[in-house]
Amino acid sequence: MDTPRFPNVTTLIVAAAMIVLPFVVPATLASQIAIFATAALSVTLLLGGAGLLSFGQGLYLGIGAYASGLLLRDAGFALLPTLLVATAGTAAVAAVLGAVMVRRQGIYFVMLTLAFAQMGYFAMLAAKDVTGGENGLSGLPRRFDLFGATIASPLSFYVLSAGVFGLAFLAVQRLLASPFGSVLTAIRENEGRSEAMGYNVRLYKIAVIAVAGGIAGLAGSLHAVFLGFVPPTDVDLEVGQRMLVMSIIGGVGSPGGALVGSAFYTLVSEALSELWARWMALIALVLIALVLFLPGGLWSAGRHLTGLLRRRDADG
Amino acid sequence: MPIERRTLLKGLAAAPAALAAPPLLRHAMAQSETLDVAAVYSLSGTFANVGTLLNNGSQWAMEHYGSVLGRKINYILLDDRGDAGEAVRKVQEAMSQRGIKHIIGCTNSAIALAVQKEVNARGGIYVQMAGADESTGKDCNKANFRWPVASYSAVNATMRPLIEKFPNAKKWYTITGQYVFGDSLLTNVKDVLKEKGLQHVGNSYHSLSDREYSGYIATALASSPDVLAICNFGNQTLDVIRQAISYGMKRNTKILAIWSTGLDQFQALGPENCEGVYFGCNFWHGVDTPGGREVAAVVKAKTGDVPNYLQACGYAVAQVLVEGIKKAGTTEIAPLIKAMEGMTYEGPTGLEKIRPEDHQVIKDYYLMLGKAKSAMKDKNDFAEVIAATKAFLPPDKTGCKMA
Repeated sequence: MDTPRFPNVTTLIVAAAMIVLPFVVPATLASQIAIFATAALSVTLLLGGAGLLSFGQGLYLGIGAYASGLLLRDAGFALLPTLLVATAGTAAVAAVLGAVMVRRQGIYFVMLTLAFAQMGYFAMLAAKDVTGGENGLSGLPRRFDLFGATIASPLSFYVLSAGVFGLAFLAVQRLLASPFGSVLTAIRENEGRSEAMGYNVRLYKIAVIAVAGGIAGLAGSLHAVFLGFVPPTDVDLEVGQRMLVMSIIGGVGSPGGALVGSAFYTLVSEALSELWARWMALIALVLIALVLFLPGGLWSAGRHLTGLLRRRDADG
Repeated sequence: MPIERRTLLKGLAAAPAALAAPPLLRHAMAQSETLDVAAVYSLSGTFANVGTLLNNGSQWAMEHYGSVLGRKINYILLDDRGDAGEAVRKVQEAMSQRGIKHIIGCTNSAIALAVQKEVNARGGIYVQMAGADESTGKDCNKANFRWPVASYSAVNATMRPLIEKFPNAKKWYTITGQYVFGDSLLTNVKDVLKEKGLQHVGNSYHSLSDREYSGYIATALASSPDVLAICNFGNQTLDVIRQAISYGMKRNTKILAIWSTGLDQFQALGPENCEGVYFGCNFWHGVDTPGGREVAAVVKAKTGDVPNYLQACGYAVAQVLVEGIKKAGTTEIAPLIKAMEGMTYEGPTGLEKIRPEDHQVIKDYYLMLGKAKSAMKDKNDFAEVIAATKAFLPPDKTGCKMA
């Protein structure tokens, strides 16, 4: 993890990247990057912060998306209350599921995340009268007002997505730089010792699962707002895997890795999918190469390069 | 002379517009010479094998037409990777940032249902090939046109001729994919059985991920049905047929695959499995019609072989759009939609007509019977057409309320 300071140079780099992004890629693609960067942040917080590997973050993204879809379409909620309620609701669900999952550690914890994610997908199919089943949830409004501004154009959606990502990013940075973050680091490094020191490890884990779930739910909520539709893939097992892959490619050592991972995955899939149907194989190769040679992900490449240059200067 | 700050700011504000002007002008000029048509298909992901063939059909059709109303057709592929969310995003981008208004294609119903709403909201036109009833039913809209038949038509166009042919086949068993399309087929099967006073002796549901059906088939065998009706699609149809045959079901039971893609599935099954099995198909290359001959010529030029359903379907949605533009004499959306309502044209299955009430193409759906290998006239002559039926719900029963 980065030295837990807040804000730091990572904050500046991420802010600059978010400003530049819509000028170098189409606004809809930039929005997609921002939304999935928010989603990947939840994995970064869990895995990078507390060392909890979850294949099930897609479940929370899906819950956030469907909750928002229903609130916007059927309950007539405005944009801001929808984002807030979906985030809080998903965090509450994550806390309840987390209370069950933290009873087990290691591989059993991972399997529980997987099982809950699978259950979520089938629950969505079973409740097709509410969720739309395989057809997805459609009929969402496409125009929103937020603080007097109208959100309807691709660029305005990007501004919203980037703003939300920015807030989530700052929240994660702040959390990791706080005493709470220090306890998470201690749990990640040595759970037994943290417990021996008197920390209620289970409670800390439930708290971080709830916060990460809330962030994933927020990303899902944004995705529903952005598309005007909730695709059934939002609660698919694959979306949780995608979030995990994005985080690992970007690097879970820093919240900045979530943005790098999301941008890399989104842009590479965009460029390669029309050229080669099996483009996922290339993503898998990148993942293997990173795990073997750059475990800190792409975000850590800059730090490695800086280190190398410094050593060379010192030697010279 | 000193420059005032206000003047400088105005100049700076105008600079980007000035810099962008030549490309904008070029774009505007190019737009009047070409017509951009975006095609939404899954070229990667789970449905890549289906999307690729559909895309081939559409692309070859557009190449065949070349231009319309003097404007060169520029075919733009949007790969949705089998994800409805990705499809919507790419359509948003194409329509809002590239100004594209004419959209065709889909690889599955979820994608079509999402895209048809998006296109309608953004003032475009969309011609697609979804199987879900809702597409021209409760979710219909002015922008949306659908070429293949819905599940109601598939069930009625296959079951009714089969019931007439075998009036003593009283007991029917169904194996159904537990997803929207499978359920929709099952509901329609039950309705027909009820109307005809026939017995539905049982149903087995399988999931989208199932590949092993022996348990379901054993259950079906236990109820000694006269007909096994398969209510699913894709490779799962093939697997159910193969396993039913390997359990000896063909000896005493008629097997009906209500929704099949025809030639490519027959090739996958082989004549030994196709023989004596009944299939429902949207297209068959052996049906000789002027439109069918045109599709065949285009596909033969590309592959050296006859067209399969997916290629013909991809061709058909492109054809509907281009024929509509020709009839309308304009690419403007409102008059184009108006011209397409009630339009008749020589389609791949014969004379096809677009029903104005729900924008459903009224066309034949075929009941086919697999031939023995010895009866095949050529390598693609797997089946014969037993019945060609236009079986559609009356417009007032579809649930479509065109806004």
